[in-house]
Amino acid sequence: MITELIHWLFFLLSVLLAPIVILGTIRKTKARLQARRGAPILQAAFDLIRLAQKGETVSSTASWIFRAASTIGLCNVLLISWLVPWLSFAPWAPPADLFLVVYLFAMSRIFTLLAALDTGSAFGAFGASREATLSLLVEPAALLGLVALGATSRTSDLREIFSFTNTHLQMNPAIWLLVGTAIILSSLVELSRMPIDDPTTHLELTMVHEAMILEASGRNLAIIEFTHALRMSVLFGLSVQCFMRAAPAVWKLPEIIQAMITIIGLLTIAMAVGVFESLAVKLQWRRIPEFIAYAITMSLLAALIAVAGGIV
Amino acid sequence: MDPSLLYGNLPIVLGVFLIAFLSTRKRLNQNFLSLILLSLACILIVGSICSGSSAQRWSTELPILSGIFPLTFLSDGLSSLFLLILAVVSVGIALLSPGYLSHRQDRLHAGHYWSATFIFVLSMCAVILSADAITFLVFWELMSITSCVLVATDHHQHSVQKSALIYLGATRIATALLSAGFLWMHAISGSWCFESWHFNAANSYGAAVLILIGFCIKSGIWPFHIWLPYAYPAAPAPVSVLMSGAMINIPLYGIIRILLCGDLNSSEIATFALLLGSISAFWGILFALVQNDIKRLLAYSSVENVGLILMAISLAIKARIANLPDICLMALTAATFHCLNHGVFKALLFSSAGIIDTQAHTRDLRHLGGLVRAMPYTTACFLVGALAACCLPPLNGFASKWLLFQSLFRSIWESHSLLDRGTCIAAICLLSIVSGLTLASFTKVTAVCFLGKSRSNRSENAKECRAGMLAAQIYFATICVVLGVSAPYVTHSLSRVLADTLHLNFSQAPTTAINTPLMALLLCALFSLIYISFSSRSPVRSYSTWDCGFGPLSARSQVTSDSFAQPLARIFSPFLQYQTEIELSGKDRRHFPETINAKTRMVSLLESRVYLPALTIISHLAKMLARFQAGSIHIYLLYVCITLVLLLLLSAKL
Repeated sequence: MITELIHWLFFLLSVLLAPIVILGTIRKTKARLQARRGAPILQAAFDLIRLAQKGETVSSTASWIFRAASTIGLCNVLLISWLVPWLSFAPWAPPADLFLVVYLFAMSRIFTLLAALDTGSAFGAFGASREATLSLLVEPAALLGLVALGATSRTSDLREIFSFTNTHLQMNPAIWLLVGTAIILSSLVELSRMPIDDPTTHLELTMVHEAMILEASGRNLAIIEFTHALRMSVLFGLSVQCFMRAAPAVWKLPEIIQAMITIIGLLTIAMAVGVFESLAVKLQWRRIPEFIAYAITMSLLAALIAVAGGIV
Repeated sequence: MDPSLLYGNLPIVLGVFLIAFLSTRKRLNQNFLSLILLSLACILIVGSICSGSSAQRWSTELPILSGIFPLTFLSDGLSSLFLLILAVVSVGIALLSPGYLSHRQDRLHAGHYWSATFIFVLSMCAVILSADAITFLVFWELMSITSCVLVATDHHQHSVQKSALIYLGATRIATALLSAGFLWMHAISGSWCFESWHFNAANSYGAAVLILIGFCIKSGIWPFHIWLPYAYPAAPAPVSVLMSGAMINIPLYGIIRILLCGDLNSSEIATFALLLGSISAFWGILFALVQNDIKRLLAYSSVENVGLILMAISLAIKARIANLPDICLMALTAATFHCLNHGVFKALLFSSAGIIDTQAHTRDLRHLGGLVRAMPYTTACFLVGALAACCLPPLNGFASKWLLFQSLFRSIWESHSLLDRGTCIAAICLLSIVSGLTLASFTKVTAVCFLGKSRSNRSENAKECRAGMLAAQIYFATICVVLGVSAPYVTHSLSRVLADTLHLNFSQAPTTAINTPLMALLLCALFSLIYISFSSRSPVRSYSTWDCGFGPLSARSQVTSDSFAQPLARIFSPFLQYQTEIELSGKDRRHFPETINAKTRMVSLLESRVYLPALTIISHLAKMLARFQAGSIHIYLLYVCITLVLLLLLSAKL
């Protein structure tokens, strides 16, 4: 009972803090690499609070979908963060079926697309069109990786796949590494980060996510930004969990050390993304499928291991 | 309850209908007729639920056929299930029809419509209930012909004539193949009764393939799907609802009833069906993405869904051959559940499309837009249908798609051969691409049709539809939500009925492990919590959409359905034969073009390269044969003489 309560407490704390700290770490890393001091780590939180208190401007063309969409997206991502084992500790939750999780992501995506198209702006619409294209390409990669893990451990419940008592996958570092890489590569696409999309610019340069949310303001924007950051933490967290399990030694460590490894892993990934974003340039739109092909290759290899070797 | 007693009422309903129809010949009372259809549907619902999974057979000797052949019927769990789907869709038709017909008085003859619809619905019932091949074919033909008549309701238009002809041709070929297959099986088994047909010997595989292809043509599986995007847009809205919601399931029912229940044990045929199913799922949704006519788009999406169902059925056959009853039951539950779900959400989408057609007088996405302000209820219903078609939780499409995913996923480690495992992984991969494409297509149609600014005066002046038509949409939307939320219970009862009917010895009944009621409740609670806590703080200002300071945006500056789909169409351009031509003109046309013309072109390879040449060859052959028909009595007498001599020679030899 007490441990469950502590789990809930830590879980709620991570849902609130992790998105902000990860976002802050990425920005800080980029600033340091540009020889700037950068904003404090928690700047994202201040931004969100300020946005939430501001007034809101809504396009006169927009309908109820425009404002409902952001909330629906947040609900979905909150539900996902509760179900998906992106932290090594988690409170009780119903089985997190991997197909359900993929479709919950799709649910939040369709509402983002509809909201972008609702205002009748060409920016939002083209962003939406590109987002639909990217997600179509990247979804098979993510799903295939998770299916490979699931088929090896003979369950579609993500919590069981990722539980430390699941012996099917304990001595299988290759599959974990491949799936972890596939998830991180596809999440860069999914979250519209470099080299797909530059999250720090506006309009023409930023072709996907920022274009879609151009019309959002005030608390609507705050909800969207938080949703996006939470989605980022869940996806990065999931890949950290994969990488963690690649080391057989981690499996037998006490829970508290695993939790610390998770936190360190999340920060490391955030810093790595920051470094990568400082070094990489944005890819030309037509070359993005090549980038996604890497993620698909990783998943395919994982699936091969699952089909040929994993199931005996 | 004895189902024969219940279904025996159907001719009585027909009689009541005829009396009503004839007595009000001058001025048809639409509401009365729809009430009769409603009661017919209710009889079916009660009948199918009451008879449950108990098998009952009965036969009738029609007076005209007496002494020739008795019609035999069988009612069991499987047929009850498909009758239920038919009845659920018919209720919506009864609600939709009067309003729709009154909008179309000038074009449609209500008398023709109602009489054909009644015969259509009743013949579909009879096809589902029939227990032997002759009964099946009799009512199958009745169903095909009446549906053809219904497609041709608005036969003054040239395009409708063409569509009806294409559809008629497809049904002829389907029936020909089915008859051939049935005759073959009769030759092997010596019986017309489906129960005595077994496809477990190599000599019956040919018949199985013929029957499979016959059913595939009728349900619109790739590469036989080309009649679908012609027939559905040409038909009046209630007819396309009935065809896509109910009729399309009947060939699939036939595959389950004849091939699966007949112990088909050729793994190759099952793999072939799986391949056809996956190709049509992909092909259908890919072509749906680039359509501009709402009904054509929905028709292509039907191709996709039928493909998914065929995938599930063939997976069930494969699992049955490999002796994996759990997966077989799960896949079969997925197939029948998806028949129901697709029936309901496609009926909803087609009725909304029909309503848009009556209110905005166009189905072309290039002229629609901004309907959400004028038609808020239709928008909400269409959105529910679109979300269900994208298989998003917690709506009904998700439950059946999840079962399909799960049955593929489980067969990865349960099946014995490496090839089967690879096939399953490939199928899962393909399904995820299909779901991405579905999402893009339905986002496109919802957004371009209902959101943004209206692109023409026609959609600008649209108004919300009448209560009856609205009721039909709300009815379908409610079923979508209810089926989705109560998915675990529906799955449980479906699988129980199917296991009883097919005598499957499963060890573990398929359940949706996902607690959908809890999930739906949680989502609703979270939504209202966040929405309320964030909605009462600061003021909301209404202002025009960001226009970069160039002055107000017009409807023309919005994305069109073509431009939204363009990046995806470009990726899949080899399949679509998709080409874009951009023409700039003006003095300094490179930097300051005066006019820009963008044209997208798409050819259906299958139609232009396969069907058209085949048709040309056939018509050439027909012309050559026509030379024999010279129209002169002397030559005909010569033919008779030659035939006589030949016959004499033949008999002399024997």
